[in-house]
Amino acid sequence: MNLKAFFVATLSSALDLGIASPDDVLRHVTPDVLAIHLPRPLWARLLTACVGAPRVDAQLVVETIGVPNLCEHIPAPIIWACIEELAARALGGVVIAPAVAPSSRPNAEATASVSRPIPLPTPPPPAELRATPPTPIAVGPSIPSPLSASEGDGDPSRSRVPPSQRFRQSATNSGIGRLATSSARRPQAQAAPAPPPPEPVAAAPLPRVKRGQTESDYDLETFVGGKDDWKNALAVEDEQLVDWSAADETVTHAEELRPKR
Amino acid sequence: MSNDQRQAWFARMMESGLENDIFAPSDVLAHATPDVLASHLPAELLSKVLASSLAAGSMTPERVLETVTPELMAKHLPHDVLWQCIAAAAARAGVNKTVGS
Repeated sequence: MNLKAFFVATLSSALDLGIASPDDVLRHVTPDVLAIHLPRPLWARLLTACVGAPRVDAQLVVETIGVPNLCEHIPAPIIWACIEELAARALGGVVIAPAVAPSSRPNAEATASVSRPIPLPTPPPPAELRATPPTPIAVGPSIPSPLSASEGDGDPSRSRVPPSQRFRQSATNSGIGRLATSSARRPQAQAAPAPPPPEPVAAAPLPRVKRGQTESDYDLETFVGGKDDWKNALAVEDEQLVDWSAADETVTHAEELRPKR
Repeated sequence: MSNDQRQAWFARMMESGLENDIFAPSDVLAHATPDVLASHLPAELLSKVLASSLAAGSMTPERVLETVTPELMAKHLPHDVLWQCIAAAAARAGVNKTVGS
């Protein structure tokens, strides 16, 4: 009695005929079952296929392992349970989704109820992996994990310590530390002290919306308190201007750019 | 699932079961009894069965199944009868034990 050959024929024909789908198979031949019973070379083939595939689904798993290998290595009661379920469905007249072409993958909507990403279990490492020589791996300097001891201990009650001053405080007020000597930020484009807040903004109240007038009338333009405020904000001292004509690198004549003949 | 698909699958299962000695022709006829055959096989097929048996001088399960092939069984006989044959063979093989994976 060649039970496995019978299983291969039954399961293969069921898949070919659309009686069964790869999801039906993986409902019984679960990743846990595969982890226990599938030989490591087949696991290697499966992992290789999964890594290179844009999508990992039941069809990929079944096609990669192959029905003969499944029936060879998976215990017969498990395969039989799968066949039994298929027969019960076939005899019960339960209508399932029509068979798809072997080359096409079922779309996500059609298989949403039964098809889900198959998390491959961690291959059980123990004895066999120890026998294989470890692959040399380039070891770099020890870089602490982002979840270091201060944050990664999982204690939510610990409050996060605010980061300390990034710049060293310098008493000599030299170097980069001078940037942090005062709380005031480094002036950007304004050498002169900042002018006091423009009074017209505070003095001139925003016009109110009157009856018959919508707020959008004022939303069309940004209300600026004074016309000359922008000029004050962009005021630049003469010292900050660069004399481009005196700079050595500056090309002042377009003649130099032309190719010499 | 169309009837053709189911029919083809059952035909394949019966064929494979016989090829791989999962069950014997006598096991098939233990479920596909003469009453079942007489009730479901078309007249011309019944005629062929009888004619071949008459020519051989005996009607054995093997000879019946030479005429009533797995395709014809799946086409004419109730599938639940065929499944009972398959399931009984699986039970004899001990593969339908409870799985404790």
